[in-house]
Amino acid sequence: MNPPNTPDDGRRPTAGAGAAPPIVEAAGLTKVFPMPAGPVVALRGVSLRDDSGESIAITGPSGCGKSTLLHLLGCVDTPTEGSLAIEGRDASRLSDFERSRIRLTKIGFVFQRFFLLPMLTAWENVELPQSEAGAPKTARRARTRELLDYVGLADRAGHKPSQLSGGEMQRVAIARALANRPLLLLADEPTGELDEATGEQIVELFDRVNRDGTTLVVVTHNPILANRARRVLPMRSGRLIMESPASSIVAREEGA
Amino acid sequence: MSIRSALALFGLTALPPCAAFAVLSLAASPVVPAAANEARGPAADISAQLAASSPSDPPGVLVSRQLLEESGLAVGEVVLFSADPRGARPAPFRIVGSYEPRPDPMRLGSKRLEARLHLPDLIALMADPSDPLASESVASVNVALHDRKDAAKFSSDLISRMPGLIATPTAPPPDEADPFVVLERFHLAIAIVTVIGSTAFLLALMAMRADERRETVGILRLIGFTRRGILLEVLVEGLFIAVAGAVFGVLFATATQGIVNRFFQWRYDTALVFVRVTAPIAARCIVFAVPLGVLAGLVASWTLLRRDIVALLRR
Ligand SMILES: Nc1ncnc2c1ncn2[C@@H]1O[C@H](COP(=O)(O)OP(=O)(O)O)[C@@H](O)[C@H]1O
Ligand SMILES: [Mg+2]
Repeated sequence: MNPPNTPDDGRRPTAGAGAAPPIVEAAGLTKVFPMPAGPVVALRGVSLRDDSGESIAITGPSGCGKSTLLHLLGCVDTPTEGSLAIEGRDASRLSDFERSRIRLTKIGFVFQRFFLLPMLTAWENVELPQSEAGAPKTARRARTRELLDYVGLADRAGHKPSQLSGGEMQRVAIARALANRPLLLLADEPTGELDEATGEQIVELFDRVNRDGTTLVVVTHNPILANRARRVLPMRSGRLIMESPASSIVAREEGA
Repeated sequence: MSIRSALALFGLTALPPCAAFAVLSLAASPVVPAAANEARGPAADISAQLAASSPSDPPGVLVSRQLLEESGLAVGEVVLFSADPRGARPAPFRIVGSYEPRPDPMRLGSKRLEARLHLPDLIALMADPSDPLASESVASVNVALHDRKDAAKFSSDLISRMPGLIATPTAPPPDEADPFVVLERFHLAIAIVTVIGSTAFLLALMAMRADERRETVGILRLIGFTRRGILLEVLVEGLFIAVAGAVFGVLFATATQGIVNRFFQWRYDTALVFVRVTAPIAARCIVFAVPLGVLAGLVASWTLLRRDIVALLRR
């Protein structure tokens, strides 16, 4: 089966292969939401570096700022303070248009709620970002077929999201996130709305995506998914508290 | 032959120009050959009808269709006309035909109970019996022309043919007084109010529709569509819908104008045309509607696009 980032695209060195800048490098990220009832501090100085090919799991209780961090890393939102570099480029200097291009071509998103376009079929959902990126029709067709095959939904290409199960929708969402061969895949509780068995299929899929060369940052409560990550970063009250081997963290989360 | 009714009412106002020529040409045919010439068509028919009555018979008269229907009269019958509201000094006339009064928007509410007489008959009927010269003279005659612009030429022509006659064009009514100009302004005002009102309504509707699209726009922004790209989509979509809507509106108005006209013509018993969709009107509609429709779409979309992605995707 074809990996999402096939070797022939030849754009990226493998993990730890030398001088290439990290895909994302965050330093002192702070995010404050000004609310009528007073400012909400969601992040308090988070620093994070994610090298090519890595996989990171971010865990922590609800409301500790995991999603907010993911939004900042994905150029979906902007930090109140701190710096963020995408492939060595300062994200704060990017225009809205450039940030859109980064989301389109360099970063893939997978969310708990799938966020597929309900009026489009699985095929069209996967093809859409490629059209927007200006990929030629034949390339789009080949890539879409390859991706639906990769996530095991080749036979559901013509189905709309409403005709798919939760696990199938999430697999379409993963295929869509990989459409333009992103450097980085960001996932926010990707198994949150799925039953355990289906969640495990998704865990397998993420594992394969990472093994095939896409850097991964996953926010999750799912210990199995967290366990697969090379690094687990626990978070509390807007801070990354420590970095520890996956197994010990998961054990402590479960004990809490 | 039976004299069925004595009618104390008639009107001679708002004679169609051609009929005025007809009356005038019978009374003073040598004077206005040009005018009589101009009044071929219906005027010639009326002249023929009026002339059809024989000298011994009561003089011929034309009555309006409305008068004919209202009084249950028929062509060929003899009626009594009087210039006096109490019916004093009636004179017999034979109905030789009927005519459709020229529709006049200023007289929409009133029944067009009118008659047209030969000028000498009219003078005789209106004459004051105590004045022996009353039927010998006429102080003034109003002549309506097909084209108001001919007035100067017509009056100088008349003066050259009848020395001593004073013929002056009446001042053309200022535009404000022309009922059609007034009506047109009224329609324009209604149109502007309607367009503004429906634009506001459309905007509210589109804002609601846009809110239904909140998540869709959020997803598009999330996966990397630019604001400009989405606005462009909306623009194209809005343009298409606005053009389709405007064309539909014009086609609908064109298709239903007959029904509207027939209803109001029946309601007011007139031949007046109430609605007519002309090419300039259709063009004006489209020129107004399309930019407004597109603008409404853009404004509605912008209310979404200016929000940040996280807010768009929140439940
Ligand atoms: N758009 C926002 N406006 C205001 N407060 C927000 C917003 N997004 C998140 N927050 C607040 O920031 C904190 C962190 O939220 P979030 O990152 O969603 O946490 P997590 O994903 O870990 O559950 C919470 O207190 C939340 O209420
Ligand atoms: Mg969250």
